[in-house]
Amino acid sequence: MILGLLAMLTIQDTGRVAEAQAVIAQLVESYGVSGAEAPVRQVVQRLLPSWARAETDTAGNLWVRVGQGDPAVVIVAHMDEIGYRVDSILTDGSLAIRPRGGFFPSLFEAQPALIHTDRADISGIFLPRDTGMTRRTPPPLQVSVGATTRAGAESLGVQVGQTITMPKQYVRLAGTRATGRSFDDRMGCAALILALQQLDRSKLKHQVIFIFSTREEIGLEGAEAAARQLGTTPRRVHAIDTFVSADSPLDPQNFAVAPLGAGAVARALDNSSVTPPAYVDSLTQIARTRGIALQIGTTNGGNDGSVFVPFGVVDVPLGWPLRYSHSPAEVIDLKDLVSLADLVRAIAEDW
Amino acid sequence: MNALLVVVALSVQNVDALAERFAAMTAVTGYEQVMTDSLLALLPGSMRDRTGNVTLTLGRGAPKRLLSCALDEGGYAVGNITDDGYLTLRRVGGVPRAYPLFDQQLEGHRVTLFGRRGAVPGVVGVRSTHLARGRPAAPDPPFTVDNAYVDVGATSRADVAALGLAMLAPVSLTKRPHRFGNGLLAAPAVGRRAACAALAAAALSRPRVQGTVVVAFTVQSLYADTAGLKTVKNLQGPFAAAREAILTTRYTGTAVETVALRDVEALVADLARWIGAPR
Repeated sequence: MILGLLAMLTIQDTGRVAEAQAVIAQLVESYGVSGAEAPVRQVVQRLLPSWARAETDTAGNLWVRVGQGDPAVVIVAHMDEIGYRVDSILTDGSLAIRPRGGFFPSLFEAQPALIHTDRADISGIFLPRDTGMTRRTPPPLQVSVGATTRAGAESLGVQVGQTITMPKQYVRLAGTRATGRSFDDRMGCAALILALQQLDRSKLKHQVIFIFSTREEIGLEGAEAAARQLGTTPRRVHAIDTFVSADSPLDPQNFAVAPLGAGAVARALDNSSVTPPAYVDSLTQIARTRGIALQIGTTNGGNDGSVFVPFGVVDVPLGWPLRYSHSPAEVIDLKDLVSLADLVRAIAEDW
Repeated sequence: MNALLVVVALSVQNVDALAERFAAMTAVTGYEQVMTDSLLALLPGSMRDRTGNVTLTLGRGAPKRLLSCALDEGGYAVGNITDDGYLTLRRVGGVPRAYPLFDQQLEGHRVTLFGRRGAVPGVVGVRSTHLARGRPAAPDPPFTVDNAYVDVGATSRADVAALGLAMLAPVSLTKRPHRFGNGLLAAPAVGRRAACAALAAAALSRPRVQGTVVVAFTVQSLYADTAGLKTVKNLQGPFAAAREAILTTRYTGTAVETVALRDVEALVADLARWIGAPR
């Protein structure tokens, strides 16, 4: 009997993990540097359940409203990723670039580059430095598209303002782990999509607004536009974003130690918000009632929910443990995505 | 694929594709067998000697000459496995000279480990950007192989073993050759790989042969002062003349080492001429 149950659970878990992977892989392999999120938005729209009516606001945020009645609750995840933009095209054909978001520029150095345009991407390389042999503080990076003059680069379609990343791929690791770039915050987007796909709309007691936001990495700008639009209307906001975890041999273990694979994490204290303890307790109770794995933790970084707080909206951010944040080699555990999606659904239906 | 089809497939325009295919392979010095297996399949009549070099003899009689390329690359091997499933590395092929930040290119990037059950994807860990914020800036020396923790998703030694990984498994940056600009190809060690592609294409083009030409794809160039090449010379020499296929590269030793594909095509023609008409 127990063996039979275990076998059934394993089959069920495998199905849930596969379902989660089908969503996150598509999101991770789309490109969307802050301010240029259109490709990600298109993938999100494609993955939404057919009943969902999505609207895009002037800031580029994608809204899905479900249920009716006050007070509204907002659940937000950001679509954008870190990267660069073309600042100028130099006379030798190389591109001067400016970072969008915070990261170690050395991780882009001497890597393949993609310049994103409205049409096909243009291939190039991030040039390796020839001076300043330190680890994380290279001279300002430049990109070559193989041109030797400004006109040559322009003839390939390069223009100032275009965004630049490096090629990326979702790759499965051992067990239920996976690696890729921009899990931050495609995991949050995936959790919202999976929750919407599973949502029992008849259980909603009030309106829940799912927002896929823009320009988080450069200052929570998309969320701020949404917060201003909603004003004091919402009661709570749940930012669904990375819990940067110290679950690695490289980071100090003083805080942020949330093991991968142990479930979603209440991001109860970060650099932008503090969740009122009573709300952490309520969240814990919801997770316990539904049998959802939940960790409680504190980490660094800001979250989209924090810009709602000045309007009297309580921010209860959630995340999942991520290793090696803002690197091309971020690592996640798919079980945490399942847990997070279940918790988002539970919040919408029960809280 | 039979020999005729191979020759047809290797028309000059497809040398570019062969260069890209070779650039996607990994052959850490001393652990070149997978690539030499491919060469044996590609080059009918070729053989592997006791060191691992792949050689193909063209023509007959005197003079006997040697035309070679080095196919190996600097890389890493698994040096230890931690209780919690990380793998640590040692460098293979000595201290890299072409690029002082050779090891640093591992940090925060994909690697491929070649275990007994095939290739295994992994990453080399890097401190999380967010967790470095608000803390005093630490000294910033370059990353070295001693800082590398390879994460394959395992949580124990047993997990690692189950993936077919053990001590000495070769490890390299994951190879993803990248074309850009007007016929440029970027990849780790692409200069060597593209030169070997040119040599293979020249050998397969059925050139007129003057005397005997031993075409050699040599291993272990980074050990014992070209151990593989010396082995070929000692086993199959003496040679009246010897030439190594070499290409000009940019950004040498980096993950985006770059060659111009027109240089690869020109090298094919030049090597074919050398095979047919010794100076």
